[in-house]
Amino acid sequence: MSRQISFNIFRYDPQDGQDKPKMERYQLTETPGMTVFIALNQLREQQDPSLQFDFVCRAGICGSCAMVINGFPTLACRTLTANYPDGEITLMPLPGFELIGDLSVNTGKFMRELAERLKLWLHPKADDHDMHRLENPMAPEEAARIYELERCVECGVCVSACATKQMRETFVGAVGMMKIARFEMDSRDARTADDFYHVIGNQDGVFGCMTLLGCQDNCPKDLPHMQQIAYLRRKMAATIL
Amino acid sequence: MSAKTRVPTAINGGPYGQAWSAKADCLQSITGLILGVFLLFHMHFEASILLGKETFFHMVQFLEGSMFSSTDHGFPIVTKIISVIMLVIVAIHAATALRRFPTQLGQWRAMRGFMSSIKHKDTQLWFWQMITGFLLFFLVSAHLATMILNPEIGPHLSAERVYHDNAWLLYVVFLPIVLFHGIVGLYRVILKWGVSSNRPLIRTIAHVLIVYLLCLGTLSLVTYINIGMELVLPVQPFIPN
Ligand code: HEM
Ligand code: SF4
Ligand code: FES
Repeated sequence: MSRQISFNIFRYDPQDGQDKPKMERYQLTETPGMTVFIALNQLREQQDPSLQFDFVCRAGICGSCAMVINGFPTLACRTLTANYPDGEITLMPLPGFELIGDLSVNTGKFMRELAERLKLWLHPKADDHDMHRLENPMAPEEAARIYELERCVECGVCVSACATKQMRETFVGAVGMMKIARFEMDSRDARTADDFYHVIGNQDGVFGCMTLLGCQDNCPKDLPHMQQIAYLRRKMAATIL
Repeated sequence: MSAKTRVPTAINGGPYGQAWSAKADCLQSITGLILGVFLLFHMHFEASILLGKETFFHMVQFLEGSMFSSTDHGFPIVTKIISVIMLVIVAIHAATALRRFPTQLGQWRAMRGFMSSIKHKDTQLWFWQMITGFLLFFLVSAHLATMILNPEIGPHLSAERVYHDNAWLLYVVFLPIVLFHGIVGLYRVILKWGVSSNRPLIRTIAHVLIVYLLCLGTLSLVTYINIGMELVLPVQPFIPN
């Protein structure tokens, strides 16, 4: 099997004042097991060294290579070109992030700002500051529940897949809520539901979510956004009762 | 140490937790739920005309409180009162749902831009729910205005309204719009609060309900039109055997 496949790739360099956004077309010969990530590297090596895109791990772990592939935001390194029978693949950068160039967006900056805004780190309990003390053991079920949410690779897909987020810049988005849910269920964290209410109990937080479920349907790690956001919604609504 | 998280950031000036957000979200869902469940009952009551004029007549009398009346007849004022209550509920629902509307041109463009670049079913569903919600604003008002000003319901009086007063024109448009909006709304409410997370099942039920109610409603409407065509003017109220 060695068919020709075509790529329509978004090209734009925001650093270059003269440049205008455009789509460029490339062709290459498909190889067995080819992913979009492999194809992009080949295009850059053999056809166009100026092509910009991100990757680190090529194994769905680092979350760098997310882009919109034929209308679905996902990880390029986990998408086989063979999934597209007509051999036509359109690549767009993730919407909603600062564009670095072509397919490369600054998700890192977004994730950092989000973490600072929502305080996405463990806030230990008052009696828990002695670093020489042995940590309390954690029930395996709790550890498993936390681990389930820790699998997030911060790829930004859920942010791009959310029309609410695209409409309202200040909306925290699914990844922020997933991380809040992660600390909410952590018995070591001192914050109470009331504390979290101050961060996400508003139109920019869980009550701004319109349950469009773009996050749930596109997350490459299959994180349970729908359940977690519903859980936070109930929890946050209960604080005003 | 304090684990309070109420720290303003550049993105969001805070204070954050707004009790109003939670209340609005609850109110929107509760009113939506009441309206949706009301719709399910309403469709069936009104479809009792399919079982004959006699059945419909007695059902109307019963719902209008005939058991509290010395004659066999109920009180049309009941219809009037319920219509006023429904109007209030719709007003609350519309006011709280209005939070979700893309109120600025930029938001509308972001929504449309999103939908043209990212394919996502539930987002499209929401978009149409918003459009139908907007239309319902007028349709529900028109429907309830009739019921408040002119609350006489009966096999002949209703048929007269549908056929001779041309109310069928309203209902032909109203029926599919309210069914789509209401049933998709119920689907969303269930997922939004995590009543169930079996999304495929809820979706299937929603599909079946829409098709079923559309058939039921259309059949009932056709029946009223047929009865209306047979009536001689001026229309006499139906007299049961
Ligand atoms: C009168 C004008 C109406 C307007 C303007 C309106 C508007 C809306 C909008 C925009 C939503 C989406 C809100 C969201 O995504 O959170 C919504 C949700 C909903 N609507 Fe309506 N609607 C109206 C009437 C109705 C009627 C008559 C029914 C019942 C048949 C209904 C049932 C629902 C339900 C169940 C929801 C889901 C609530 C939720 O997501 O929290 N609506 N409505
Ligand atoms: S929750 Fe899923 S889609 Fe969102 S950033 Fe994490 S891994 Fe990506
Ligand atoms: S390159 Fe690391 S997730 Fe794709």
